[in-house]
Amino acid sequence: MIRDITIGQYYQTESVIHRMDPRFKIIATMVFIISIFIFTNPYIYIVASVFLGICIALSRVPFKFMVRGLKSVVMLILLTVIFNMFFIQGEPLFHIWKITISKEGVETAAYMAVRLIILIIGSSIMTLTTTPNQLTDGLESVMKPLKLFRVPVHEIAMMMSIALRFIPILMEETDKIIKAQTARGASFEDKNMIKRVKSLVPVLVPLFVSAFRRASDLAMAMEARCYRGGDGRTKMKPLKYHRVDFVGYVVIIIYFACIIFTGIYAHYLPFGEGL
Amino acid sequence: MSIVETKKLAYEYIRRDAEGNVEGITRAVDDVTMNIHQGEFVAILGANGSGKSTLAKHLNAIFYPTEGSVFVDGKDTKDESKLWDIRRTAGMVFQNPDNQIIGQVVEEDVGFGPENMGVPTKEIWERVEESLRIIDMLPFRKMSPMKLSGGQKQRVSIAGVLAMHPKCIILDEPTAMLDPLGRKEVIRAVTALNQVEKITIILITHYMEEVIGADRVIVMDKGQIVMSGTPKEVFSQIELLKELRLDVPDVTMLAYKLRQSGLPIPRGILTQEELISEIEKLKVAK
Repeated sequence: MIRDITIGQYYQTESVIHRMDPRFKIIATMVFIISIFIFTNPYIYIVASVFLGICIALSRVPFKFMVRGLKSVVMLILLTVIFNMFFIQGEPLFHIWKITISKEGVETAAYMAVRLIILIIGSSIMTLTTTPNQLTDGLESVMKPLKLFRVPVHEIAMMMSIALRFIPILMEETDKIIKAQTARGASFEDKNMIKRVKSLVPVLVPLFVSAFRRASDLAMAMEARCYRGGDGRTKMKPLKYHRVDFVGYVVIIIYFACIIFTGIYAHYLPFGEGL
Repeated sequence: MSIVETKKLAYEYIRRDAEGNVEGITRAVDDVTMNIHQGEFVAILGANGSGKSTLAKHLNAIFYPTEGSVFVDGKDTKDESKLWDIRRTAGMVFQNPDNQIIGQVVEEDVGFGPENMGVPTKEIWERVEESLRIIDMLPFRKMSPMKLSGGQKQRVSIAGVLAMHPKCIILDEPTAMLDPLGRKEVIRAVTALNQVEKITIILITHYMEEVIGADRVIVMDKGQIVMSGTPKEVFSQIELLKELRLDVPDVTMLAYKLRQSGLPIPRGILTQEELISEIEKLKVAK
Protein backbone atom coordinates (compact mmCIF):
# COMPACT_ATOMS: atom_id res chain seq x y z
CA MET A 1 0.00 0.00 0.00
CA ILE A 2 2.72 2.43 0.99
CA ARG A 3 4.69 1.31 -2.06
CA ASP A 4 2.28 2.95 -4.43
CA ILE A 5 2.48 6.47 -3.14
CA THR A 6 3.28 9.10 -5.71
CA ILE A 7 5.62 11.90 -4.82
CA GLY A 8 4.79 15.44 -5.72
CA GLN A 9 1.46 15.81 -7.38
CA TYR A 10 2.21 14.68 -10.90
CA TYR A 11 -0.96 13.83 -12.82
CA GLN A 12 -0.31 11.23 -15.49
CA THR A 13 -1.97 11.94 -18.81
CA GLU A 14 -1.08 12.78 -22.39
CA SER A 15 -1.12 16.47 -23.31
CA VAL A 16 0.86 19.20 -25.03
CA ILE A 17 1.87 20.67 -21.72
CA HIS A 18 3.02 17.30 -20.41
CA ARG A 19 5.24 16.94 -23.44
CA MET A 20 6.90 20.32 -23.03
CA ASP A 21 10.43 20.74 -21.78
CA PRO A 22 10.68 21.22 -17.99
CA ARG A 23 12.99 24.19 -18.50
CA PHE A 24 10.33 25.96 -20.52
CA LYS A 25 7.69 25.20 -17.92
CA ILE A 26 9.84 26.58 -15.11
CA ILE A 27 10.68 29.76 -16.99
CA ALA A 28 7.09 30.23 -18.19
CA THR A 29 5.80 29.84 -14.64
CA MET A 30 8.26 32.44 -13.42
CA VAL A 31 7.23 34.87 -16.16
CA PHE A 32 3.59 34.24 -15.32
CA ILE A 33 4.13 34.94 -11.63
CA ILE A 34 5.99 38.16 -12.40
CA SER A 35 3.23 39.20 -14.81
CA ILE A 36 0.55 39.16 -12.12
CA PHE A 37 2.61 41.19 -9.70
CA ILE A 38 3.84 44.13 -11.79
CA PHE A 39 0.51 45.91 -12.21
CA THR A 40 -2.53 46.31 -10.01
CA ASN A 41 -5.71 46.64 -11.98
CA PRO A 42 -8.61 44.32 -12.68
CA TYR A 43 -7.92 43.94 -16.39
CA ILE A 44 -4.55 42.29 -15.72
CA TYR A 45 -6.31 39.57 -13.78
CA ILE A 46 -8.79 39.05 -16.55
CA VAL A 47 -5.99 38.56 -19.09
CA ALA A 48 -4.09 36.30 -16.69
CA SER A 49 -7.18 34.25 -15.89
CA VAL A 50 -8.03 33.74 -19.53
CA PHE A 51 -4.46 32.64 -20.21
CA LEU A 52 -4.60 30.34 -17.20
CA GLY A 53 -7.90 28.88 -18.38
CA ILE A 54 -6.41 28.06 -21.78
CA CYS A 55 -3.42 26.39 -20.09
CA ILE A 56 -5.67 24.30 -17.84
CA ALA A 57 -7.71 23.19 -20.83
CA LEU A 58 -4.54 22.28 -22.75
CA SER A 59 -3.07 20.35 -19.82
CA ARG A 60 -6.09 18.01 -19.63
CA VAL A 61 -5.70 17.84 -15.88
CA PRO A 62 -9.13 17.87 -14.18
CA PHE A 63 -9.79 21.25 -12.59
CA LYS A 64 -10.43 19.72 -9.18
CA PHE A 65 -6.74 18.77 -8.94
CA MET A 66 -5.79 22.42 -9.28
CA VAL A 67 -8.29 23.36 -6.59
CA ARG A 68 -6.83 20.67 -4.36
CA GLY A 69 -3.59 22.64 -4.37
CA LEU A 70 -5.51 25.65 -3.11
CA LYS A 71 -6.86 23.84 -0.07
CA SER A 72 -3.51 23.80 1.69
CA VAL A 73 -3.11 27.57 1.36
CA VAL A 74 -6.64 28.65 2.22
CA MET A 75 -5.41 29.75 5.64
CA LEU A 76 -2.66 31.85 4.12
CA ILE A 77 -5.09 33.54 1.76
CA LEU A 78 -7.56 34.22 4.57
CA LEU A 79 -4.87 35.71 6.74
CA THR A 80 -3.69 37.99 3.95
CA VAL A 81 -7.23 39.11 3.29
CA ILE A 82 -7.95 39.81 6.96
CA PHE A 83 -4.73 41.69 7.57
CA ASN A 84 -5.15 43.80 4.48
CA MET A 85 -8.77 44.55 5.24
CA PHE A 86 -8.30 45.55 8.85
CA PHE A 87 -5.01 47.34 8.80
CA ILE A 88 -4.96 49.43 5.66
CA GLN A 89 -6.26 52.88 6.41
CA GLY A 90 -8.12 55.11 4.02
CA GLU A 91 -11.60 56.20 3.05
CA PRO A 92 -13.87 54.45 5.60
CA LEU A 93 -16.46 52.10 4.13
CA PHE A 94 -18.17 50.80 7.28
CA HIS A 95 -17.48 50.12 10.94
CA ILE A 96 -17.62 46.88 12.84
CA TRP A 97 -17.42 47.62 16.56
CA LYS A 98 -14.21 49.67 16.86
CA ILE A 99 -12.61 48.57 13.64
CA THR A 100 -12.93 50.62 10.52
CA ILE A 101 -12.83 48.92 7.19
CA SER A 102 -11.54 51.14 4.45
CA LYS A 103 -12.20 51.12 0.75
CA GLU A 104 -8.47 50.75 0.05
CA GLY A 105 -8.28 47.85 2.48
CA VAL A 106 -11.02 45.88 0.74
CA GLU A 107 -9.48 46.63 -2.62
CA THR A 108 -5.98 45.49 -1.68
CA ALA A 109 -7.38 42.42 0.06
CA ALA A 110 -9.31 41.44 -3.04
CA TYR A 111 -6.28 41.99 -5.26
CA MET A 112 -4.06 39.92 -2.99
CA ALA A 113 -6.54 37.07 -2.81
CA VAL A 114 -6.98 36.94 -6.58
CA ARG A 115 -3.22 37.15 -7.08
CA LEU A 116 -2.50 34.31 -4.68
CA ILE A 117 -5.17 32.09 -6.20
CA ILE A 118 -3.91 32.71 -9.73
CA LEU A 119 -0.33 32.18 -8.57
CA ILE A 120 -1.05 28.87 -6.91
CA ILE A 121 -3.13 27.50 -9.74
CA GLY A 122 -0.50 28.69 -12.20
CA SER A 123 2.35 26.93 -10.45
CA SER A 124 0.32 23.81 -9.86
CA ILE A 125 -0.08 23.46 -13.61
CA MET A 126 3.67 23.08 -13.71
CA THR A 127 3.89 20.55 -10.88
CA LEU A 128 0.91 18.57 -12.13
CA THR A 129 2.33 18.14 -15.62
CA THR A 130 6.00 17.55 -14.82
CA THR A 131 7.45 14.50 -13.08
CA PRO A 132 9.64 15.28 -10.05
CA ASN A 133 12.55 13.87 -12.02
CA GLN A 134 12.07 16.22 -14.93
CA LEU A 135 11.58 19.03 -12.50
CA THR A 136 14.99 18.49 -10.87
CA ASP A 137 16.61 18.13 -14.28
CA GLY A 138 14.94 21.33 -15.40
CA LEU A 139 15.93 23.20 -12.26
CA GLU A 140 19.53 22.10 -12.60
CA SER A 141 19.60 23.44 -16.11
CA VAL A 142 17.73 26.69 -15.40
CA MET A 143 19.89 27.45 -12.37
CA LYS A 144 23.14 26.82 -14.24
CA PRO A 145 24.04 30.53 -14.48
CA LEU A 146 24.14 30.60 -10.67
CA LYS A 147 27.28 28.47 -10.90
CA LEU A 148 29.15 31.71 -11.57
CA PHE A 149 28.26 32.73 -8.03
CA ARG A 150 29.60 29.43 -6.72
CA VAL A 151 26.17 27.98 -6.08
CA PRO A 152 26.58 24.18 -6.21
CA VAL A 153 23.79 23.73 -8.75
CA HIS A 154 24.53 20.15 -9.78
CA GLU A 155 24.90 19.04 -6.18
CA ILE A 156 21.57 20.61 -5.20
CA ALA A 157 19.80 18.87 -8.06
CA MET A 158 21.49 15.56 -7.19
CA MET A 159 20.42 15.91 -3.56
CA MET A 160 16.86 16.63 -4.61
CA SER A 161 16.64 13.60 -6.83
CA ILE A 162 18.21 11.34 -4.19
CA ALA A 163 15.76 12.71 -1.62
CA LEU A 164 12.92 11.88 -3.98
CA ARG A 165 14.21 8.37 -4.40
CA PHE A 166 14.56 7.80 -0.67
CA ILE A 167 11.23 9.23 0.48
CA PRO A 168 9.31 6.00 -0.16
CA ILE A 169 12.10 3.90 1.37
CA LEU A 170 12.11 6.00 4.53
CA MET A 171 8.30 5.93 4.65
CA GLU A 172 8.41 2.16 4.60
CA GLU A 173 11.01 2.23 7.31
CA THR A 174 8.88 4.56 9.47
CA ASP A 175 6.02 2.14 9.07
CA LYS A 176 8.23 -0.72 10.26
CA ILE A 177 9.56 1.22 13.24
CA ILE A 178 6.07 2.26 14.31
CA LYS A 179 4.98 -1.36 14.19
CA ALA A 180 8.03 -2.48 16.12
CA GLN A 181 7.48 0.14 18.82
CA THR A 182 3.76 -0.63 18.99
CA ALA A 183 4.64 -4.28 19.52
CA ARG A 184 6.65 -3.19 22.54
CA GLY A 185 3.74 -1.31 23.99
CA ALA A 186 4.23 2.19 22.63
CA SER A 187 1.06 4.11 21.93
CA PHE A 188 0.73 6.66 19.17
CA GLU A 189 -2.90 7.57 19.62
CA ASP A 190 -3.03 9.64 22.73
CA LYS A 191 -5.58 12.44 22.82
CA ASN A 192 -3.07 14.72 24.46
CA MET A 193 -1.19 16.60 21.77
CA ILE A 194 2.05 16.89 23.76
CA LYS A 195 2.04 13.21 24.62
CA ARG A 196 1.45 12.34 21.01
CA VAL A 197 4.40 14.42 19.87
CA LYS A 198 6.55 12.90 22.60
CA SER A 199 5.59 9.41 21.51
CA LEU A 200 7.17 10.15 18.13
CA VAL A 201 10.66 10.42 19.63
CA PRO A 202 11.20 6.63 19.76
CA VAL A 203 10.27 6.57 16.06
CA LEU A 204 12.40 9.48 14.93
CA VAL A 205 15.61 8.44 16.66
CA PRO A 206 15.93 5.04 14.96
CA LEU A 207 14.72 6.59 11.71
CA PHE A 208 17.49 9.18 11.79
CA VAL A 209 20.12 6.61 12.68
CA SER A 210 19.10 4.45 9.77
CA ALA A 211 18.88 7.41 7.41
CA PHE A 212 22.47 8.35 8.22
CA ARG A 213 23.61 4.78 7.71
CA ARG A 214 21.85 4.67 4.37
CA ALA A 215 23.41 7.97 3.37
CA SER A 216 26.89 6.70 4.13
CA ASP A 217 26.24 3.45 2.24
CA LEU A 218 24.88 5.35 -0.71
CA ALA A 219 27.83 7.71 -0.79
CA MET A 220 30.17 4.75 -0.91
CA ALA A 221 28.16 3.09 -3.67
CA MET A 222 28.16 6.31 -5.68
CA GLU A 223 31.91 6.71 -5.34
CA ALA A 224 32.42 3.10 -6.32
CA ARG A 225 30.55 3.94 -9.50
CA CYS A 226 32.94 6.78 -10.27
CA TYR A 227 30.70 9.63 -9.10
CA ARG A 228 32.80 12.76 -8.63
CA GLY A 229 30.43 15.68 -8.90
CA GLY A 230 29.01 17.37 -11.94
CA ASP A 231 32.21 18.11 -13.86
CA GLY A 232 32.86 15.90 -16.84
CA ARG A 233 29.57 14.14 -16.40
CA THR A 234 27.41 13.29 -19.39
CA LYS A 235 23.66 12.79 -19.36
CA MET A 236 21.75 9.71 -20.30
CA LYS A 237 18.63 11.74 -20.90
CA PRO A 238 19.74 15.25 -21.83
CA LEU A 239 17.01 17.87 -22.03
CA LYS A 240 16.18 18.81 -25.59
CA TYR A 241 13.94 21.59 -26.83
CA HIS A 242 11.37 20.59 -29.41
CA ARG A 243 9.13 22.61 -31.66
CA VAL A 244 6.38 22.83 -29.00
CA ASP A 245 8.78 24.55 -26.66
CA PHE A 246 9.70 27.25 -29.16
CA VAL A 247 6.02 27.82 -29.84
CA GLY A 248 5.58 27.96 -26.09
CA TYR A 249 8.25 30.64 -25.73
CA VAL A 250 6.57 32.72 -28.44
CA VAL A 251 3.20 32.35 -26.72
CA ILE A 252 4.56 33.36 -23.33
CA ILE A 253 6.27 36.43 -24.84
CA ILE A 254 3.02 37.45 -26.53
CA TYR A 255 1.19 36.92 -23.25
CA PHE A 256 3.68 39.07 -21.37
CA ALA A 257 3.40 41.80 -24.02
CA CYS A 258 -0.40 41.71 -23.62
CA ILE A 259 -0.04 42.15 -19.85
CA ILE A 260 2.28 45.13 -20.23
CA PHE A 261 0.03 46.65 -22.86
CA THR A 262 -3.04 46.19 -20.64
CA GLY A 263 -1.16 47.53 -17.64
CA ILE A 264 -0.11 50.69 -19.41
CA TYR A 265 -3.37 51.49 -21.21
CA ALA A 266 -5.80 50.22 -18.58
CA HIS A 267 -6.52 53.69 -17.21
CA TYR A 268 -8.36 54.56 -20.44
CA LEU A 269 -10.86 51.83 -19.58
CA PRO A 270 -13.60 52.14 -16.96
CA PHE A 271 -12.30 51.24 -13.47
CA GLY A 272 -8.79 51.15 -15.01
CA GLU A 273 -7.23 52.93 -12.07
CA GLY A 274 -8.86 50.79 -9.47
CA LEU A 275 -12.41 50.04 -8.51
CA MET B 1 47.63 -12.41 -16.13
CA SER B 2 46.72 -11.17 -12.72
CA ILE B 3 43.95 -8.60 -12.38
CA VAL B 4 43.95 -8.08 -8.63
CA GLU B 5 47.01 -8.54 -6.51
CA THR B 6 47.61 -7.77 -2.85
CA LYS B 7 51.02 -7.78 -1.21
CA LYS B 8 51.28 -8.13 2.56
CA LEU B 9 48.13 -6.06 2.86
CA ALA B 10 47.18 -4.89 6.36
CA TYR B 11 44.45 -2.54 7.51
CA GLU B 12 43.85 -1.15 10.96
CA TYR B 13 40.66 0.37 12.30
CA ILE B 14 41.38 2.92 14.98
CA ARG B 15 38.65 3.12 17.60
CA ARG B 16 38.33 6.42 19.38
CA ASP B 17 36.33 7.46 22.41
CA ALA B 18 34.13 10.56 22.57
CA GLU B 19 37.12 12.90 23.01
CA GLY B 20 38.97 11.44 20.08
CA ASN B 21 41.59 9.58 22.08
CA VAL B 22 42.69 6.28 20.66
CA GLU B 23 40.95 3.50 22.53
CA GLY B 24 42.31 0.61 20.63
CA ILE B 25 43.42 -0.60 17.27
CA THR B 26 41.78 -3.47 15.44
CA ARG B 27 43.75 -5.14 12.73
CA ALA B 28 40.92 -6.07 10.39
CA VAL B 29 43.12 -7.33 7.60
CA ASP B 30 46.50 -8.78 8.44
CA ASP B 31 49.26 -9.76 6.05
CA VAL B 32 47.10 -10.82 3.11
CA THR B 33 48.93 -11.73 -0.05
CA MET B 34 46.86 -13.06 -2.91
CA ASN B 35 46.78 -13.04 -6.65
CA ILE B 36 43.61 -13.22 -8.71
CA HIS B 37 43.87 -13.96 -12.40
CA GLN B 38 41.89 -12.54 -15.27
CA GLY B 39 38.73 -14.58 -15.83
CA GLU B 40 38.84 -16.38 -12.51
CA PHE B 41 35.85 -16.85 -10.20
CA VAL B 42 37.17 -16.49 -6.67
CA ALA B 43 35.04 -16.76 -3.57
CA ILE B 44 36.17 -15.28 -0.30
CA LEU B 45 34.59 -16.95 2.70
CA GLY B 46 34.66 -16.04 6.33
CA ALA B 47 32.53 -15.65 9.42
CA ASN B 48 31.44 -12.24 10.67
CA GLY B 49 34.39 -10.08 11.59
CA SER B 50 36.86 -12.12 9.60
CA GLY B 51 37.90 -9.07 7.59
CA LYS B 52 36.50 -10.18 4.27
CA SER B 53 34.46 -7.03 3.63
CA THR B 54 37.37 -4.79 4.61
CA LEU B 55 39.54 -6.69 2.17
CA ALA B 56 36.91 -6.24 -0.56
CA LYS B 57 36.80 -2.48 -0.06
CA HIS B 58 40.53 -2.32 -0.70
CA LEU B 59 40.13 -3.87 -4.12
CA ASN B 60 38.07 -0.89 -5.30
CA ALA B 61 40.21 1.79 -3.63
CA ILE B 62 37.50 2.70 -1.12
CA PHE B 63 39.91 1.86 1.68
CA TYR B 64 43.64 2.35 1.46
CA PRO B 65 46.04 -0.14 3.01
CA THR B 66 47.71 0.72 6.32
CA GLU B 67 50.60 -1.50 5.28
CA GLY B 68 51.42 -3.33 2.09
CA SER B 69 49.82 -2.60 -1.24
CA VAL B 70 47.04 -3.51 -3.63
CA PHE B 71 47.36 -3.57 -7.40
CA VAL B 72 44.33 -3.56 -9.68
CA ASP B 73 45.18 -4.31 -13.28
CA GLY B 74 48.77 -3.37 -12.48
CA LYS B 75 47.84 -0.01 -10.93
CA ASP B 76 48.64 0.76 -7.33
CA THR B 77 45.47 1.83 -5.46
CA LYS B 78 47.49 4.37 -3.51
CA ASP B 79 48.12 6.30 -6.72
CA GLU B 80 45.36 8.91 -6.64
CA SER B 81 45.67 9.81 -10.31
CA LYS B 82 44.61 6.25 -11.19
CA LEU B 83 41.65 6.21 -8.77
CA TRP B 84 38.87 6.45 -11.36
CA ASP B 85 40.61 4.01 -13.66
CA ILE B 86 40.75 1.51 -10.83
CA ARG B 87 37.11 1.95 -9.85
CA ARG B 88 36.12 1.47 -13.46
CA THR B 89 38.22 -1.66 -13.85
CA ALA B 90 37.01 -3.21 -10.62
CA GLY B 91 33.31 -2.55 -10.12
CA MET B 92 31.70 -3.19 -6.79
CA VAL B 93 28.29 -4.46 -5.72
CA PHE B 94 27.29 -3.98 -2.09
CA GLN B 95 25.11 -5.80 0.38
CA ASN B 96 22.00 -3.65 0.71
CA PRO B 97 20.20 -3.32 -2.62
CA ASP B 98 18.18 -0.28 -1.47
CA ASN B 99 21.26 1.70 -0.52
CA GLN B 100 23.07 1.47 -3.82
CA ILE B 101 20.39 2.21 -6.37
CA ILE B 102 20.50 5.88 -7.26
CA GLY B 103 18.06 6.17 -10.13
CA GLN B 104 14.30 6.29 -9.87
CA VAL B 105 13.91 4.14 -12.95
CA VAL B 106 15.88 0.94 -13.57
CA GLU B 107 17.50 2.15 -16.79
CA GLU B 108 18.50 5.48 -15.25
CA ASP B 109 20.26 3.68 -12.45
CA VAL B 110 22.18 1.47 -14.85
CA GLY B 111 23.20 4.60 -16.76
CA PHE B 112 24.57 6.30 -13.64
CA GLY B 113 28.07 4.80 -13.88
CA PRO B 114 28.59 5.60 -17.58
CA GLU B 115 27.22 9.12 -16.97
CA ASN B 116 29.88 9.66 -14.33
CA MET B 117 32.55 8.38 -16.66
CA GLY B 118 31.55 10.94 -19.28
CA VAL B 119 30.40 8.42 -21.88
CA PRO B 120 28.48 10.09 -24.76
CA THR B 121 24.68 9.90 -24.52
CA LYS B 122 24.19 7.51 -27.41
CA GLU B 123 26.73 5.05 -26.07
CA ILE B 124 25.17 5.21 -22.60
CA TRP B 125 21.91 3.93 -24.05
CA GLU B 126 23.73 1.13 -25.85
CA ARG B 127 25.58 0.14 -22.72
CA VAL B 128 22.43 0.23 -20.59
CA GLU B 129 20.57 -1.98 -23.01
CA GLU B 130 23.47 -4.38 -23.32
CA SER B 131 23.96 -4.69 -19.55
CA LEU B 132 20.29 -5.19 -18.85
CA ARG B 133 20.12 -7.84 -21.55
CA ILE B 134 23.14 -9.73 -20.18
CA ILE B 135 21.64 -9.74 -16.71
CA ASP B 136 18.19 -10.61 -18.11
CA MET B 137 16.42 -7.53 -16.75
CA LEU B 138 15.55 -5.81 -20.02
CA PRO B 139 11.75 -6.15 -19.54
CA PHE B 140 12.03 -4.18 -16.29
CA ARG B 141 13.93 -1.21 -17.71
CA LYS B 142 11.14 1.33 -17.30
CA MET B 143 10.14 0.20 -13.82
CA SER B 144 10.80 1.86 -10.50
CA PRO B 145 13.38 -0.07 -8.44
CA MET B 146 10.93 0.12 -5.53
CA LYS B 147 8.68 -2.35 -7.29
CA LEU B 148 11.35 -5.03 -7.76
CA SER B 149 12.17 -7.98 -5.53
CA GLY B 150 15.47 -8.10 -3.62
CA GLY B 151 17.07 -10.44 -6.13
CA GLN B 152 15.98 -8.26 -9.03
CA LYS B 153 17.32 -5.15 -7.30
CA GLN B 154 20.70 -6.81 -6.87
CA ARG B 155 20.68 -7.76 -10.53
CA VAL B 156 20.02 -4.12 -11.38
CA SER B 157 23.02 -3.18 -9.23
CA ILE B 158 25.12 -5.72 -11.10
CA ALA B 159 23.91 -4.32 -14.42
CA GLY B 160 24.86 -0.85 -13.17
CA VAL B 161 28.43 -2.04 -12.63
CA LEU B 162 28.44 -3.96 -15.89
CA ALA B 163 27.58 -0.81 -17.86
CA MET B 164 30.94 0.60 -16.81
CA HIS B 165 32.59 -2.29 -18.74
CA PRO B 166 34.72 -3.53 -15.84
CA LYS B 167 37.26 -6.30 -16.09
CA CYS B 168 36.47 -7.48 -12.63
CA ILE B 169 33.41 -7.32 -10.39
CA ILE B 170 33.67 -7.52 -6.63
CA LEU B 171 30.49 -8.54 -4.86
CA ASP B 172 30.47 -7.81 -1.16
CA GLU B 173 27.92 -10.18 0.35
CA PRO B 174 25.39 -9.44 -2.38
CA THR B 175 22.99 -12.09 -1.11
CA ALA B 176 23.09 -11.39 2.63
CA MET B 177 19.75 -9.59 2.63
CA LEU B 178 17.92 -11.80 0.13
CA ASP B 179 15.59 -14.74 0.47
CA PRO B 180 16.79 -18.16 -0.80
CA LEU B 181 15.17 -17.64 -4.19
CA GLY B 182 16.77 -14.24 -4.66
CA ARG B 183 20.11 -15.67 -3.61
CA LYS B 184 19.97 -18.37 -6.26
CA GLU B 185 18.94 -15.80 -8.86
CA VAL B 186 21.91 -13.56 -8.10
CA ILE B 187 24.44 -16.40 -7.95
CA ARG B 188 23.18 -17.77 -11.25
CA ALA B 189 23.60 -14.34 -12.84
CA VAL B 190 27.11 -13.95 -11.42
CA THR B 191 28.15 -17.40 -12.61
CA ALA B 192 26.85 -16.62 -16.10
CA LEU B 193 28.82 -13.38 -16.15
CA ASN B 194 31.98 -15.28 -15.38
CA GLN B 195 31.38 -18.07 -17.87
CA VAL B 196 29.84 -16.17 -20.78
CA GLU B 197 31.30 -12.68 -20.46
CA LYS B 198 34.63 -13.89 -19.01
CA ILE B 199 34.56 -11.23 -16.31
CA THR B 200 36.65 -11.89 -13.24
CA ILE B 201 34.39 -12.37 -10.23
CA ILE B 202 35.35 -11.93 -6.60
CA LEU B 203 32.42 -13.06 -4.49
CA ILE B 204 32.47 -12.36 -0.81
CA THR B 205 29.98 -14.35 1.19
CA HIS B 206 29.36 -16.49 4.20
CA TYR B 207 26.98 -18.87 2.49
CA MET B 208 28.88 -22.00 1.59
CA GLU B 209 26.39 -23.15 -1.06
CA GLU B 210 27.27 -20.13 -3.15
CA VAL B 211 30.94 -20.91 -3.54
CA ILE B 212 30.57 -24.39 -5.02
CA GLY B 213 30.76 -23.02 -8.56
CA ALA B 214 33.90 -20.98 -7.88
CA ASP B 215 37.31 -21.79 -9.35
CA ARG B 216 39.00 -21.01 -6.09
CA VAL B 217 37.90 -20.48 -2.51
CA ILE B 218 39.80 -18.35 -0.05
CA VAL B 219 38.82 -18.70 3.61
CA MET B 220 39.59 -15.85 5.97
CA ASP B 221 39.69 -15.70 9.72
CA LYS B 222 40.83 -12.88 11.99
CA GLY B 223 42.04 -10.90 9.01
CA GLN B 224 44.24 -13.62 7.60
CA ILE B 225 43.94 -16.16 4.84
CA VAL B 226 43.66 -19.55 6.51
CA MET B 227 42.70 -21.79 3.63
CA SER B 228 42.86 -21.52 -0.11
CA GLY B 229 42.09 -23.99 -2.86
CA THR B 230 39.36 -25.44 -5.05
CA PRO B 231 35.95 -25.86 -3.39
CA LYS B 232 36.62 -29.59 -3.20
CA GLU B 233 39.90 -29.12 -1.39
CA VAL B 234 38.44 -26.62 1.04
CA PHE B 235 35.30 -28.62 1.83
CA SER B 236 37.35 -31.72 2.49
CA GLN B 237 38.52 -30.17 5.73
CA ILE B 238 35.26 -30.09 7.60
CA GLU B 239 36.82 -30.06 11.07
CA LEU B 240 38.84 -26.97 10.27
CA LEU B 241 35.82 -25.18 8.77
CA LYS B 242 33.79 -25.94 11.89
CA GLU B 243 36.56 -24.45 13.97
CA LEU B 244 36.30 -21.28 11.89
CA ARG B 245 32.54 -21.08 12.62
CA LEU B 246 31.61 -21.80 9.03
CA ASP B 247 28.80 -24.11 7.94
CA VAL B 248 29.41 -26.58 5.18
CA PRO B 249 26.67 -27.38 2.64
CA ASP B 250 24.18 -29.98 3.86
CA VAL B 251 25.23 -32.54 1.25
CA THR B 252 28.88 -32.22 2.20
CA MET B 253 27.94 -32.64 5.84
CA LEU B 254 25.85 -35.73 5.09
CA ALA B 255 28.68 -37.27 3.09
CA TYR B 256 31.05 -36.50 5.94
CA LYS B 257 28.77 -38.20 8.49
CA LEU B 258 28.36 -41.25 6.25
CA ARG B 259 32.10 -41.47 5.90
CA GLN B 260 32.53 -41.18 9.65
CA SER B 261 30.17 -44.06 10.19
CA GLY B 262 32.31 -46.23 7.98
CA LEU B 263 31.05 -45.94 4.40
CA PRO B 264 33.86 -45.49 1.86
CA ILE B 265 32.75 -42.12 0.50
CA PRO B 266 35.47 -39.72 -0.64
CA ARG B 267 36.03 -36.32 0.95
CA GLY B 268 34.79 -33.04 -0.47
CA ILE B 269 31.40 -34.00 -1.91
CA LEU B 270 29.74 -30.76 -3.05
CA THR B 271 26.51 -31.60 -4.84
CA GLN B 272 23.59 -33.97 -4.43
CA GLU B 273 24.37 -35.61 -7.77
CA GLU B 274 27.89 -36.41 -6.68
CA LEU B 275 26.67 -38.03 -3.46
CA ILE B 276 23.99 -40.01 -5.26
CA SER B 277 26.47 -41.39 -7.78
CA GLU B 278 28.87 -42.34 -4.99
CA ILE B 279 26.10 -44.23 -3.20
CA GLU B 280 25.07 -45.91 -6.45
CA LYS B 281 28.69 -47.05 -6.85
CA LEU B 282 28.53 -48.58 -3.38
CA LYS B 283 25.39 -50.50 -4.31
CA VAL B 284 27.06 -51.89 -7.44
CA ALA B 285 30.12 -52.89 -5.43
CA LYS B 286 27.95 -54.83 -3.07
